[in-house]
Amino acid sequence: MAISERPQSAQDGQRLDYQAKLTGRAAYLADMKMPGVLEGVVLRSPVAHAWIRYVDTSEALKVPGVVAVYTKDDVVQGTGIEPYYGPVFKDQTIVAVDKVRHVGDPVAAVAAETREAAEEAANLIVVEYEDLPPVMDVQDSVKEDATLVHETVRIPEHGFADLAELKPIENTNVCTHFKLRKGDIEQGFAECAHVFEDTFILPTTQHVALEPHGCIAAFQPDGRVNLWSTTQNPFVVRTQLANIFKMPVSKIRIMVPYLGGGYGSKVYPKIEPLTMALAQKAKRPVRILLSREEVFYTVTKHAAFIRMKTGVKADGTFHAREAEVFLDTGAFAEIGPRVAKKSAYTAAGPYKFSHVKIDAKSVYTNKPPAGAFRGFGVSQSAWASESQTDIIAKALGRDPYELRMQNIYDEGDEFVTGEKLWSIGVKGCLEKVAQEMKWGEPMPAPDDPSKVRGRGLAALIKATITPSISCAAIKLNEDGSVNVFTSTVEMGQGSDTAMAAIVADTLGISLDQVSVLGVDTDVVPYDLTTSSSRSTFHMGKALELASLDLCEQLRKFVSEEHGVPFEETRMEGGKVLFRENALDIREVLFNHFGMQGGTLVGRGEVKTSTVDPDTGDKTTSSFWFVGAGGSEVEIDKDTGRLRVLKHATAVDVGRVITPLGCQQQLVGGAITGMGQALFEQMVWDNGILVNPNLVDYVLPALGDMPDEITPIAVEVPHKNGPFGAKGIGETSLIPVAPSIANAVDDAVGVRIKDLPVTAEKIFLGMLDK
Amino acid sequence: MKKAITMEVNGASCRVEVEPWRTLLDVVREELDLTGAKLGCDIQVCGACTLLVDGKPVSACSVLAVDADGRKVTTVEGLAEGDRLHPLQESFMKFGALQCGYCTSGFLLTAKAMLDENPHPDDEQIKSYMGGSFCRCGCYQEIMQALRSVARS
Amino acid sequence: MKHFEYLEPGTVDEACGLLKQYAGNARVFAGGSSLTILLKQGFLQPDALINIKKIDELRRIEESGEDLVIGSLVTHHDIEVSEVLARRLPVLCELEHDVANIRVRNMATVGGNIASGEPLTDLPCVFITLDATVRIANTSGGRTLALEEVFVDYYETQLQEDEVLTHVVIPPLPAHSAIDYVRFSSSSVVDKPCIGVAVRMTVDPDGGACREVRVGLGCVAPTPMRARNAEAALEGQPLNDDNLQKAARAAAEECDPMDDLRGSERYKREMVAALVRRLSSRVYDQARGGRS
Repeated sequence: MAISERPQSAQDGQRLDYQAKLTGRAAYLADMKMPGVLEGVVLRSPVAHAWIRYVDTSEALKVPGVVAVYTKDDVVQGTGIEPYYGPVFKDQTIVAVDKVRHVGDPVAAVAAETREAAEEAANLIVVEYEDLPPVMDVQDSVKEDATLVHETVRIPEHGFADLAELKPIENTNVCTHFKLRKGDIEQGFAECAHVFEDTFILPTTQHVALEPHGCIAAFQPDGRVNLWSTTQNPFVVRTQLANIFKMPVSKIRIMVPYLGGGYGSKVYPKIEPLTMALAQKAKRPVRILLSREEVFYTVTKHAAFIRMKTGVKADGTFHAREAEVFLDTGAFAEIGPRVAKKSAYTAAGPYKFSHVKIDAKSVYTNKPPAGAFRGFGVSQSAWASESQTDIIAKALGRDPYELRMQNIYDEGDEFVTGEKLWSIGVKGCLEKVAQEMKWGEPMPAPDDPSKVRGRGLAALIKATITPSISCAAIKLNEDGSVNVFTSTVEMGQGSDTAMAAIVADTLGISLDQVSVLGVDTDVVPYDLTTSSSRSTFHMGKALELASLDLCEQLRKFVSEEHGVPFEETRMEGGKVLFRENALDIREVLFNHFGMQGGTLVGRGEVKTSTVDPDTGDKTTSSFWFVGAGGSEVEIDKDTGRLRVLKHATAVDVGRVITPLGCQQQLVGGAITGMGQALFEQMVWDNGILVNPNLVDYVLPALGDMPDEITPIAVEVPHKNGPFGAKGIGETSLIPVAPSIANAVDDAVGVRIKDLPVTAEKIFLGMLDK
Repeated sequence: MKKAITMEVNGASCRVEVEPWRTLLDVVREELDLTGAKLGCDIQVCGACTLLVDGKPVSACSVLAVDADGRKVTTVEGLAEGDRLHPLQESFMKFGALQCGYCTSGFLLTAKAMLDENPHPDDEQIKSYMGGSFCRCGCYQEIMQALRSVARS
Repeated sequence: MKHFEYLEPGTVDEACGLLKQYAGNARVFAGGSSLTILLKQGFLQPDALINIKKIDELRRIEESGEDLVIGSLVTHHDIEVSEVLARRLPVLCELEHDVANIRVRNMATVGGNIASGEPLTDLPCVFITLDATVRIANTSGGRTLALEEVFVDYYETQLQEDEVLTHVVIPPLPAHSAIDYVRFSSSSVVDKPCIGVAVRMTVDPDGGACREVRVGLGCVAPTPMRARNAEAALEGQPLNDDNLQKAARAAAEECDPMDDLRGSERYKREMVAALVRRLSSRVYDQARGGRS
């Protein structure tokens, strides 16, 4: 389909969720009331790695108000459930069965009339552990004599298509090993004038969505179960629950209220299996709301250790890239194998290399499970790649911008996988950012002589999940208004508004005629997930198709009723036009149904595959995210303290759908990136997490913000996106950290290779120089 | 064990009986069904649970309800007058100062207290007063724009 | 949270009586900001909370003769906006802009700040450079201590189980004096301080020698401390690069920082040196310039 003009309905900054959110009336999970609900409390492991010898619940059961206590016995001998689950490998259980694998691993759970009683009972459960040596980082974990985190790992029968080739390596802690090869790496290095080798490190971090995870499960008398959950992908969770509890998916209904942030932390099963198990055992509705500390034990972002070797020709042409990427997936695979795979694809960055050898390993350790995090493996590889690009530029005496532009992908260039890249405005993004940062112009001297300034750039390319599927339906009512049925979860990204805008613009009606139902798996059609920045492209397109389906039905009615050929009808501005006539939707429906009543349903689906349906070419990603970021920093030479003065972020968005949402996602992503760049890290001491709280896990605050963060939307439309739009949720986060580290080096000549970029590292770097 | 307390909540007097160890956040959300304030960090860092007590912002997660006896409590539900949004709500809407909305009630109430104390704060004063509330979606730039706009009107 | 009695005495004497009666199993509840967290997390499980908020006499900031008297129920925000302090000791108002967040500043009190023995705070570091004393009430008549002596170790003070800290008393600064404080955060601006440095001195109008030098350090030892070797390095001499450098190194050596999330021991010592150097120079100029 030809690329349409940009939509018009949501140009004025309007968002469908604002009225409720601004008045305190928006219902989040913890705000919901359920008659007769029991409070669920989880008992968690205090140790990082141990065999469980026994669990004694006798004292806990005596606490008044306690209704059920759930332990490993229920998992193993209980109610005919499948004990093992997990999105990639079946290495998780509802509570720990044989051993605990990280501090915070669930060991038992209590359902009681009050939270107080449940907590008291949980404290009375006696667990005897037999300690095992914990493996706390990837380098230790891959050693030959390392203690195994999993003795065996079960493979599911129907896994994800894109991960089918990846299997755990037996008798090691390597969960998966993905290899990407192009050309001949040794020959490549031999042909180079310069070879650079560096090691880069990123710590484990956490999403810290302000809303902690929560779930309510309520079985119905007929055996069906209703769940309300803080999930970004209800259909994946439904599948997993159906497998665990051996129920048809039709009997599991998941409803998702507004989420108080997700950023990847709420994909795949989290607290849902345990809540449902507890409700099943208690025969009462159960609610589990995680504490902030528990959230840190539930999901994290992968720490990484990356060796990167790059060969460059005398004229600065990038020629050979070898990388070994170790991603710390923690105690469970979760979605780690895909994170590693995505990290591998972009370990060569947005640059043309003739020879590439990437090895990306997802590695088990005794830390909480690492999963999806905005940036999904690419933050890690881009930290290495974009930092090294500046190391190379400095060594060769080249301008880092010029060196990037010399090697960067352009329209139709060949990617490391051999496929051609289309709709790839990364060059334009880098140009715009350089302009905005006044690249090449002398830097104004700071007023304070103890301060120095520097600038840095970074660029990126990232894939979206492929293959995937999004189905959508819209209901046209007798008055011409529309209800939208989509499983895209509104978690702050403004998807309700973007989806409604696409429908409104396709039908030619105003935004206030459109309602978005909210997620209820019994009602809305299937969608894989609200993650991977995929919703606008996939679900948006499905809704555009559903709207076009409605247009076609309306034109058909008119064609039949008025005896005009279908081709001579068209739809514009919410009216069906033929000859000199213009019938509004309401009129068409009235004529068709013969009364003020009736419903039309429009359907749309988008199914992507690893083969481009138009060209037959291999497609790793149904579209590519590209972008660039630039930072200007000021450093206090006496203390190393850094302040980001300005940040510019350019993202190839394809086409802007909602200008406000686009701005918020670009700037918001950059701010999340600043936390990752400057402050955030989870710190362990002897297997114990030192800072599972917001006093010691430091988030970026208002006062840390630069004077200006400039979002720049570059529009290189994609043939398959709605109105040409692509995804925008993750792109702006990724270049922040390397652009800041590059700016630090520019300012004081200190190269920091391990995140976060702290005042101490800068200061000691200057001192030890 | 329970103690009867009387508070004026959003202008209306209300009497509840509470145990002394219950927090104000818990009582306002569970007993009064005013759920605009959210539990975020539980240790007075994030600002999601902010309520105004006698016009001053506090972390309701860490205030004992008995300590609010005899005081005026304002929640986000009390900001709008009927259908008419408070100027801060209007400004947040106009500048897009929220995404997921979980922090919004805290930001609005803190901003109200700030403007009641100082109707025309400059940027530094805004940052000092508002700087201890977290927006994890990263709307700080829009929040500053929204606050400046009200502070200058 | 463990169940407890909630008591609201109307006078200091009554509060001390109740504390004695509970023999160590009761806690004074002032602002409650840190206490509530300790209760929620189960670190404290008292039988009773003695809420002293109804004792109005502890809420005042006032001038008593030459002295400044700050009641233990005065909140951080009260200090931030106090007109008396803005006139007499603006350094206190200014530092409060950066303390924790507005919600904590509204709740947390001066008394609680001291009595908690929390090491990562700002006010006590400044108070000790001002030679502040504290008045303590108890069931046997009360006592006065130099603030510096109140602190014993991390989260540990001299306060006994029947005692209530009632006031902080700050003597006047001599003429030609200046004081300043730097709260240094190694991370986000809203993070707890990595280091606090306060310097005050009086400068001879003739000759420019430093007198009454006080260098206070916060967050780099179990308690707020005075860097007496640094003070001695400056005392009695006009400030110059040489003694400034000596004072900075002395302070770095005599403090006792720990490796933690906010910095390594090495970095903290370096920062103490850097900030003592920077701040001493600034305060010297201010005192010599006649500002106080």
